[in-house]
Amino acid sequence: MTLLKVRNIETYYGPILAVKGVSFDVQDGAIVTMLGANGAGKTTILKTISGVMDPEKGTIDFMGRRIEGMPPASIVRLGISQVPEGREVFYDLTVQENLMMGAYIRNDRRGVQDDLRLVYDYFPILEKRSNQYSGDMSGGEQQMIVIARALMARPKLMLLDEPSLGLSPLLVKEIYEIIVRINQEQKTTILLVEQNAPMALSVAGHGFVLELGRIVMDDTCEALRENEDVKEFYLGIKEESVRGTRRWKRKKKWR
Amino acid sequence: MEEEKEMEITRGPQFQSRLLASETYTIPRLFWRRVNEWSDDTAMREKEFGLWKNITWRIYGEKAKYTGLGLIDLGLEKGDRVAIISENNPEWLYSDMGTMAAGGVTVGIYPTDSASQVKYVLNHSGAKFYIAEDEEQLDKVLAVRDRIPHLKKIIIMDMEGLRHFVDPMVISFDELLALGKVFDAKHSEIFQERIHQSQPQDLAILIYTSGTTGPPKGAMISHGNVLNAVEMQDAINPGYADDEVLSFLPLCHIAQRMVSVFTPLLTGCKINFVEELDTVPENMREVSPTIFFAVPRIWEKFYSSLILTMKEATKLEKLAYKWATGIGQKCSDYSLNGSEPPFYLRGLLKLANWTVLRNLKKIIGLNKIRYCLSGAAPISPGLLKFYHGLGVDIREVYGQTENSGPTSIHYSNDVRFGTVGKPLPGAEIRIAEDGEILLKGPHVFMGYYSDPEKTRETIVDGWLRTGDVGRIDQEGRLIITDRKKDIIITAGGKNITPSEIENQLKFSPYINDAVVIGDGRKYLTALIMIDDENVMKYAQDNRIPFTTYASLTKAKAVIQLIQKEVDKVNKEFARVETVKKFRLIDIQLTTDDEEITPTMKLKRKFINEKFRQVIDEMYAQAI
Repeated sequence: MTLLKVRNIETYYGPILAVKGVSFDVQDGAIVTMLGANGAGKTTILKTISGVMDPEKGTIDFMGRRIEGMPPASIVRLGISQVPEGREVFYDLTVQENLMMGAYIRNDRRGVQDDLRLVYDYFPILEKRSNQYSGDMSGGEQQMIVIARALMARPKLMLLDEPSLGLSPLLVKEIYEIIVRINQEQKTTILLVEQNAPMALSVAGHGFVLELGRIVMDDTCEALRENEDVKEFYLGIKEESVRGTRRWKRKKKWR
Repeated sequence: MEEEKEMEITRGPQFQSRLLASETYTIPRLFWRRVNEWSDDTAMREKEFGLWKNITWRIYGEKAKYTGLGLIDLGLEKGDRVAIISENNPEWLYSDMGTMAAGGVTVGIYPTDSASQVKYVLNHSGAKFYIAEDEEQLDKVLAVRDRIPHLKKIIIMDMEGLRHFVDPMVISFDELLALGKVFDAKHSEIFQERIHQSQPQDLAILIYTSGTTGPPKGAMISHGNVLNAVEMQDAINPGYADDEVLSFLPLCHIAQRMVSVFTPLLTGCKINFVEELDTVPENMREVSPTIFFAVPRIWEKFYSSLILTMKEATKLEKLAYKWATGIGQKCSDYSLNGSEPPFYLRGLLKLANWTVLRNLKKIIGLNKIRYCLSGAAPISPGLLKFYHGLGVDIREVYGQTENSGPTSIHYSNDVRFGTVGKPLPGAEIRIAEDGEILLKGPHVFMGYYSDPEKTRETIVDGWLRTGDVGRIDQEGRLIITDRKKDIIITAGGKNITPSEIENQLKFSPYINDAVVIGDGRKYLTALIMIDDENVMKYAQDNRIPFTTYASLTKAKAVIQLIQKEVDKVNKEFARVETVKKFRLIDIQLTTDDEEITPTMKLKRKFINEKFRQVIDEMYAQAI
């Protein structure tokens, strides 16, 4: 089943048309990744879906409902949670308080308690530190907090914006293992924006490549991993030249 | 009605060379004369760190001299071939002039060529030297150099990324200049000696033609050929020292070489190098050239970008555009018919120009233009008319590598779109019995390099066989019908000239290029390459979902859009000449692909091969 249908969205970031007519589908239960260089429009697309930004044109259909232009809070209620880039925790709140903020829209106390339990199962370290201020936590722990906080809203669809940014390779691996578990065990659909292309392509089933606000590739991650352009420009795998080193880049073709 | 007899031969006016009389009738001699005469004047400009930097004739001369002497020091002998593979830049010109001054022959290679293509040209021309732009071009030759036995040295213009690279065969361009300088200190007379050894009938450059059939051929062009062609063209469209030209099409192509390397030797116009192909529109606006040569694809691109700009405009702006271009077209109708527009129309034109047309020209950087040329491929007359209506003096030029560039052109008071004008002074054009265009003149080349058989096939009784078919109208203007081998004979036996139909298709802002197919078939079909910018814009405006380029070409609404454009064109042709079916090419072709020439034309043969299956599909079921 198609969970999310994005059709021809155009979104301005200030005066710049950052997303120039993008269309794609996200299937229920999938992990879908969006690759792209800085400024390609990835974050703008996530923000347009979560309602933080309004599209100039186009439609977004979530479980059969049109959600474009709705206030973010209503979109969260419908089951879309965004995990913003840059680990934005509430510094002056404790870990537990942070997590409870994620459940702000809910009033089923029992359910919330159960979910807190669940979240602590995924991130045992957060339980240990539940009474510490989040501002005092490490980068990796803060990243866990924001993911956990998003989970507390019991989303159908989680929008993850660069969860690996600024984390050590080991932590990246750990966080991704948890993301995959959440997807499998909770059936949470995940739309993942990542600069760390090898990681993203290894966990996701389907992927898009975004360039200058447009989708240039749309394929299974398996096929994307084998694509010449993805290899050279996103995975850093280059054909060796006769000299052994090569700095120049060939032209992108996207086919 | 009296039957109008068409002419079989047409000649340009008497040609008198100014250079011949002055003993400077080779490229190096003329070049050195200019270096002395114009030493402090600007010869060219290049953008460095965002600023345009002037290069004087003195510097141009000095660098060319040291390049040439450096090559002599490394063993260049008279007649040796030197290959240059680079985007357009000053070093290209230093290498070109330096090589010729030293008595060598320059061979330009397209920077987009693959390693195996590079190998072919190097081996065929027997080049001793390979002057490459950078690391990328170096890698090509390194991959194949064990199969290029006569190659002596590789010279790299830009050493970025190669600081730690050591190879006995490779030196930097700066090192070459240094060698030349040392050599000059020891043997200061050699350079002038070599220059004065050059003779008009000597081979000056080899131009490898992209060759739509078989491997590329090396056209041998002499000093006399080049200078004749330059002078013949200048007699009709004179250039001046304050003219500005833009250098952006590949210099290994004869047209750009003529416009932005050889013509400046005659007129002193200033050469401006674009930063890269993507920045052509910006650089156009910064430079505002006064003379501009471009291939049809570029004219189509500019037209599309104006159409695109107008789609974004407000209602009032759109109305103003429609009104002003309407006035412009009316006035252009009068002047094309050789008459003055009536007084009231001239007044309106002033207003239209001041309010709208002027700004449109500014957008594409044509606001200071004196005249423009379109050539190297057929162009739709409607497109030329569009520019003429904006007040741009645009002319079509016809010619080929084998005649050193131009042969016929629109004369200033005789611009007739749909024809390619009259022969240049000194040129003669004749139509053979089978319709083939033959030509003669001092600009016709020496033949193909080490291919006497092809040469004999091409130059017959002193006439160059162009491979084009056409006719001459009663005023002596040439009309091109098509490439001889491209003429389609349908299964019904009807002769059809695909380029006429293709040009009409390309005129659509949504179509970039098209190949009409139908040789030996029951009906015509076409493969169409869409204009990605405009079609994407259309898709966005009309909420047509698409993800990638391929999915865009498969969208039903896009196919319908192109169908409408095809229908429009079909109306202008007879029934047998209509395109019954078409398919959109679903990959974005770049100049790296072999389906497209470096001057951005679709290559019929490659397209036919690559898309054979798609083509067969169009003929699979009856209509």
